[in-house]
Amino acid sequence: MAALQERPVGFFTDTSICIGCKACEVACKEWNQLEGNAPHFTADSFDNTGQLDAQNWRHVQFIEKIPDNKGTIGTPIAGGQAWLMMSDVCKHCQQASCLEVCPTNAIVRTEFDTVFIQQDVCNGCRDCIAACPYGVIGFNEKTGTVHKCTMCYDRLQNGLQPACAKACPTESIKFGYLDDLHAAADTRLATLQKQGFAQAQLYGRDTSAYGGLNAFFLLMDKPETFGLPNAANATLPSRNNVPGYLGGAVTAVLGLLAGVLAFRSSRMSGEQR
Amino acid sequence: MPEHFAVAPNWEWWILAYFFFGGIAGGTYAIGTLIRLFGAPADQGAARTAFLVSFIALIPCPIFLSVDLGQPVRFWHMLVDTSAGGPSFKYWSPMSVGSWALLLFGVFSFVSFLGALGQSGTSALSGVGRWLAGAAGAAWSVIGSGLGFFIAGYTGVLLAVSNEGVWSDAGWVLGGMFLASALSGSAALLLLLWRGRHDAQAGTVTRLEIADRNFVILEAILILLFLASVAAAGTIGKLLGALLVLWLLVLIGLAAPFTARGARMGAPAVASPLLALLGVLALRALVIFGGQL
Amino acid sequence: MTNHWRDIKNADVILINGANPAEAHPVGFRWFMRAKLDPARGPGSGGGAKIIHADPRFSRTSANADQYLRIRPGTDVAYFGGLINYVLQNKLFHDAYVKNYTNASWIVKQGYDFTDGLFSGYNAQTRSYDVSTWNYETEGDPLPGPAGTTQAKAKRDMTLQDPRSVFQLLKKHYSRYTADVVSSITGIPILEFESVARTVGEMGKPDKVMTIVYAVGLTHHTTGVQLIRSAALLQLLLGNMGRPGGGMNAERGHANIQGNTDHAISWEILPGYLKIPAPGQKDLDDYVAVSAPKKSDPHSWNFFGTNYRNFMVSLLKTWYGDKATKDNEFAFHYVPKPATNSSWISIYDQALRGKMEGVILSGMTATSIGPDSNQVLQALSNLKWLVVMDAFPTTSSEFWRAPGMDASKIQTEVFMLPCTHWIEKDGSFVNSGRWSQWKEQVIPPQGDARHDHWILADLYSRVKKLYQQQSGKFPDPIMALTLDYKDPLKPTADEIAQEINGKDLATGKQMTSFALLKADGTTTAGDWIYTGSYTPDGNLMKRRNGIQDPAKNDPTGMGFYAGWAWSWPLNRRVLYNRASADLDGKPWDPKRPGIQWNGTTWTGDVPDYPPTMNPKDPAAWLPFIMTGEGTGRLFSKDLLDGPIPEHYEPIESPVDNVLHPKQATDPVAFLYDQAAGRPNRFGTVADYPYVATTYRLTEHEHYVTQNVPLLVGLQPQAFVELPEELAGEKGIKNGDRVRVFSKRGKLEVSALVTKRFGPMTIAGKKVYTIGIPIHWGFIGIAAERDPDLSKYWVANALTPFVGDANSRTPEFKAFLVNVERIG
Ligand SMILES: Nc1nc2c(c(=O)[nH]1)N[C@H]1C(S)=C(S)[C@@H](COP(=O)(O)OP(=O)(O)OC[C@H]3O[C@@H](n4cnc5c(=O)[nH]c(N)nc54)[C@H](O)[C@@H]3O)O[C@H]1N2
Ligand SMILES: Nc1nc2c(c(=O)[nH]1)N[C@H]1C(S)=C(S)[C@@H](COP(=O)(O)OP(=O)(O)OC[C@H]3O[C@@H](n4cnc5c(=O)[nH]c(N)nc54)[C@H](O)[C@@H]3O)O[C@H]1N2
Ligand code: SF4
Ligand code: SF4
Ligand code: SF4
Ligand code: SF4
Ligand code: SF4
Ligand SMILES: [Mo]
Repeated sequence: MAALQERPVGFFTDTSICIGCKACEVACKEWNQLEGNAPHFTADSFDNTGQLDAQNWRHVQFIEKIPDNKGTIGTPIAGGQAWLMMSDVCKHCQQASCLEVCPTNAIVRTEFDTVFIQQDVCNGCRDCIAACPYGVIGFNEKTGTVHKCTMCYDRLQNGLQPACAKACPTESIKFGYLDDLHAAADTRLATLQKQGFAQAQLYGRDTSAYGGLNAFFLLMDKPETFGLPNAANATLPSRNNVPGYLGGAVTAVLGLLAGVLAFRSSRMSGEQR
Repeated sequence: MPEHFAVAPNWEWWILAYFFFGGIAGGTYAIGTLIRLFGAPADQGAARTAFLVSFIALIPCPIFLSVDLGQPVRFWHMLVDTSAGGPSFKYWSPMSVGSWALLLFGVFSFVSFLGALGQSGTSALSGVGRWLAGAAGAAWSVIGSGLGFFIAGYTGVLLAVSNEGVWSDAGWVLGGMFLASALSGSAALLLLLWRGRHDAQAGTVTRLEIADRNFVILEAILILLFLASVAAAGTIGKLLGALLVLWLLVLIGLAAPFTARGARMGAPAVASPLLALLGVLALRALVIFGGQL
Repeated sequence: MTNHWRDIKNADVILINGANPAEAHPVGFRWFMRAKLDPARGPGSGGGAKIIHADPRFSRTSANADQYLRIRPGTDVAYFGGLINYVLQNKLFHDAYVKNYTNASWIVKQGYDFTDGLFSGYNAQTRSYDVSTWNYETEGDPLPGPAGTTQAKAKRDMTLQDPRSVFQLLKKHYSRYTADVVSSITGIPILEFESVARTVGEMGKPDKVMTIVYAVGLTHHTTGVQLIRSAALLQLLLGNMGRPGGGMNAERGHANIQGNTDHAISWEILPGYLKIPAPGQKDLDDYVAVSAPKKSDPHSWNFFGTNYRNFMVSLLKTWYGDKATKDNEFAFHYVPKPATNSSWISIYDQALRGKMEGVILSGMTATSIGPDSNQVLQALSNLKWLVVMDAFPTTSSEFWRAPGMDASKIQTEVFMLPCTHWIEKDGSFVNSGRWSQWKEQVIPPQGDARHDHWILADLYSRVKKLYQQQSGKFPDPIMALTLDYKDPLKPTADEIAQEINGKDLATGKQMTSFALLKADGTTTAGDWIYTGSYTPDGNLMKRRNGIQDPAKNDPTGMGFYAGWAWSWPLNRRVLYNRASADLDGKPWDPKRPGIQWNGTTWTGDVPDYPPTMNPKDPAAWLPFIMTGEGTGRLFSKDLLDGPIPEHYEPIESPVDNVLHPKQATDPVAFLYDQAAGRPNRFGTVADYPYVATTYRLTEHEHYVTQNVPLLVGLQPQAFVELPEELAGEKGIKNGDRVRVFSKRGKLEVSALVTKRFGPMTIAGKKVYTIGIPIHWGFIGIAAERDPDLSKYWVANALTPFVGDANSRTPEFKAFLVNVERIG
């Protein structure tokens, strides 16, 4: 593959053709040498991975929405709507909450417009974990740092596409330059809408969530179903800076007053007595 | 209603300890300054205690914080940008600002600590004591107590500036609430330390008690505001249930200063500020753990 | 597959039955998605291919299908029968195709009959059919056959009106399969069935095409062969065989199971699907006369039948070299002539009867594969010795420590020969689409592991030495075998590939086509269907002219990619592709040409036809060159359980057979226990009220991936899937431990409660299906982590010891169980 241009890249993950094979999960682990967590049977559909974390930079969700005993046709029991599978990953947000709060500048934006955690800088304060609205980042006890999808930065630098996209058999995960992906996604959405899939929608394609997501999705249900904040909920941590400090300042003034009252009035009365 | 999908950073006991001690360090410094500026001469002993306590409470703070890091030795990455070079400072990141504030406050608290020692008779430090007693010293304490307020309160803002349920839902109150409770806790601690002393002036104790009660009222109002905003966000469930016993401690802590009215010596006198402090701890625990449930 | 993986993108409708490609063939599934995303495909005005999935459980394939049908296990004959009936009744079949390209016009002999669930010729005593009436009416002069023999010419009626024509018999046979009946057998709601029928019916138009995809969900039944035939019948009626985007596409098993089958992993065939000789065959003539297909129409090329002897002699020359001469019938008598069935279950049946001394297992584990693992464990303990050639310990190499076994009472001596895994060797993989693709060694052999072929070569050389030293009863086959390799103890995969291709013994050159093979002993071919894969031009399986340059490498755009690897036969990508064009040689669908006649030659795919045979020539061959009829067979006289597929219930079934209650199950299904004088171990619905089916999960490859930590993490332990309603009735909650038991054994595993398995209404009765993934045993990472928990994790502890009449394939996919909560 020719070297990648220094242009915004990303993922278009089309969940309507995901087969839940988890090849992406395994490819990611193989390439990034992640051991995975201790095996654990969750009895949660076919998901035994559970969440994105330091060992799981891709996580395939399984959401069962099988309608009850179907006796007639017309029930949307197939067509990608009855058993939702979605390969979740770091969104590489344009306005990245994690990057915003990181006190050490360990989290940076790369030449490919991706969000990257520099392992040699991170000191493991975990502020980014509390900030990421997608529950993406995990802490690794062994390295003492936090981890998430790197968008295979090392592969990108060598002109290779990310391991997960490469492994995805159905091309549910499409990697490419962001503008190309946007075009592909629009076409796909239009097709689905024409076919009558009213719930089909793009998530992160426009700027309504965090200024746009470099890893964006085609969903067959509303974002919340997949643990994704909807546009109204997609808020940055920094929204609370001004009110937070303001509240603190007001309290400080009131506290000051309360203190002054206590000591000042006492001084008066004390001296007069 | 906002929905949250952020996961827990697993900030636990070290962070709780830091929030508590940081609050005390900041709160006592501020109270010390208040007494320094507005208190009676007879109260100045209490001011000295406040400055002493402030720094002592501050000492473990950076340790707690560093131990909590995954890479404790890299604590300095908070201040120095190791990848781009130069200082690492992000005004929009409370943790970044807090790191600098802690450093600066450490300087103020340390100098005031030395001054208090000097004023209390450590002759080698009497110069510092004298300088602090002057106008420049007053300015120093004012700036220091500004930082103290910050240390006492920014931890709340730090939690709020996230996408965690509870924390970010009470974005505008957490900072104030922590600050108020830091003040009430600090007053309680000073009461505890001051009340039993042979040279304690009854007036000083009374005034500290009044201050404590004032702070508690402020704190209670903020707690109510906090509950209201969390309830409005629909995340209050996290704070009830398993954590109910902590609420009990908070309530007792809030009530304690009032029950102790009139008591001067003996068990109740010690118990009430201790309970108040426990309440302060419980409040922080509630918020820290509740947000991560 | 008659077609190939990439070809699925050419389909308008993809009918999936008894397969779960999204999970068992995820990489191939990309082509299903391509078809679905291609606006030019699809029924009606297109807009994307339609995927219709019939399966007892809602799988990851169903999730991506356009229509999902919950079908009761083992009832697909009824489903296909219903579709066939719909197509016939509504005249939706491809008329010209059916007339000219199938045996619809052949007249069936008087005497053939079907009543009360039995075809003519049944003998209840022997549980077998006398198939003599399942044949054609003959007329006129006999046709010349090979080596001076003659073959009867069948009578035809091109109007298809003769009541004894195959067409009319078929129509009559399937007229019973009304939507009502289909629904009451399969559980598919009538409306739903009719909607599928409408879509499928549209596929008989020449400009539409449907592919049928299946796998072991159809084969693992006592009616497995007929299940598949019923689907093939539908495809023939719709004119979809031989066409790009059509065909009958079996998704094969392990990465190289297609290659295994081609090279005779089944006991009843020799390489290249030549029949194994039978006792009593005195010479090659006898053998060919019995084994080769016979012509029944003067226009039938009968390529296979005509060349049978060439292929067999070339094979014998490969094996026995100079020792195979005209005078000794080319060493024909060195080839075993087994008197008894030696298929999978038969091996363990023989061991149970104490008639098996030893077994060599290479690359599979008897214990877990089943059926009836407990009985297989007994069989293994009856052996004197057991050799396991494998890269890992297996449930067979460790069978003596299976739960419930008493090692002190087992005399079987077990040898474990560490073998290289396929990752550690080079060679070829043949995929479901018959592409033989050469692969390189990925890592060098680990530890003491040796290649299978080296172990076998060494074993052979030692056995030969023993014969030389001690002589023996019949040493000739051993002595005569040629191992013409540089190092006979260490043959290379490359040498073996050349040997399989075969050479001209006169010139020493590699053969280029099986059409050039001879019966006079001057050519060799280790497997005639691979002749042409390794020519003087080199190893064609290594070719990789693919999507780097689609314009050049795939000029027709149909995805043939002739320069990518090599597919048998002769690099042909779609079998029977003569049938993709009409009588004049024009593609049925000009937009989707297979091959076409350009006036002088056939172009497109490698033609399944003489390259320059003018289709308008009155002497031109009929399109299906491999059958004696020259056409596709709607009626077949070659099977043991009937010439036309009929619905029979699984051996263990919860309901009656509504078509013929007196003959519920396949009358010739092979009941091993009964045949051996042991009591049958079948349960009844009274004790075992629920249907169970077994299957794979994406995350594991049978049992071997129990050694792969990352995959164990994805599916960490054995479980069964329970319908929500049933779980409710039984007080079982999601995640609870449950015991599932059949007449033969039990499982103790976790329960995954789901709506993906729902109740079905079968003729008014509520029927539940329980799903059992097969991947666990008492060996492997998960099992060893918690030996107590994993004691009863072998799915095949439950399955019945019974085989399909034709193939003896076990009934893994439909049997009866009960379930209860543990604790
Ligand atoms: N991940 C993975 N892939 C594999 C394998 C593996 O172990 N793991 N094994 C390989 C091998 S060896 C093989 S043979 C293939 C097998 O490939 P498949 O045949 O696709 O595999 P199964 O899961 O056994 O069965 C397929 C489906 O048949 C359904 N089924 C059962 N009974 C019936 C029935 O009566 N009618 C219908 N319509 N459906 C029925 C089951 O519910 C199941 O969903 O897979 C190969 N690929
Ligand atoms: N109930 C039920 N039972 C079933 C099925 C079902 O659907 N339901 N499916 C059946 C089917 S279709 C199949 S194919 C079988 C599968 O059953 P198996 O073939 O026994 O399953 P695998 O685990 O794939 O076994 C392959 C073994 O080969 C070893 N191996 C790999 N490479 C090599 C090599 O190069 N040389 C040697 N010597 N060994 C090697 C591996 O280590 C592994 O132990 O199960 C059958 N059993
Ligand atoms: S998804 Fe989370 S981790 Fe990824 S860039 Fe956005 S905020 Fe950061
Ligand atoms: S854990 Fe590392 S990456 Fe995250 S905020 Fe702290 S320093 Fe930055
Ligand atoms: S881009 Fe790379 S690091 Fe990110 S999920 Fe995919 S494989 Fe893992
Ligand atoms: S590899 Fe592709 S199809 Fe498979 S789970 Fe991941 S996204 Fe889905
Ligand atoms: S296991 Fe291998 S052969 Fe099977 S689908 Fe995956 S890549 Fe293909
Ligand atoms: Mo298989």
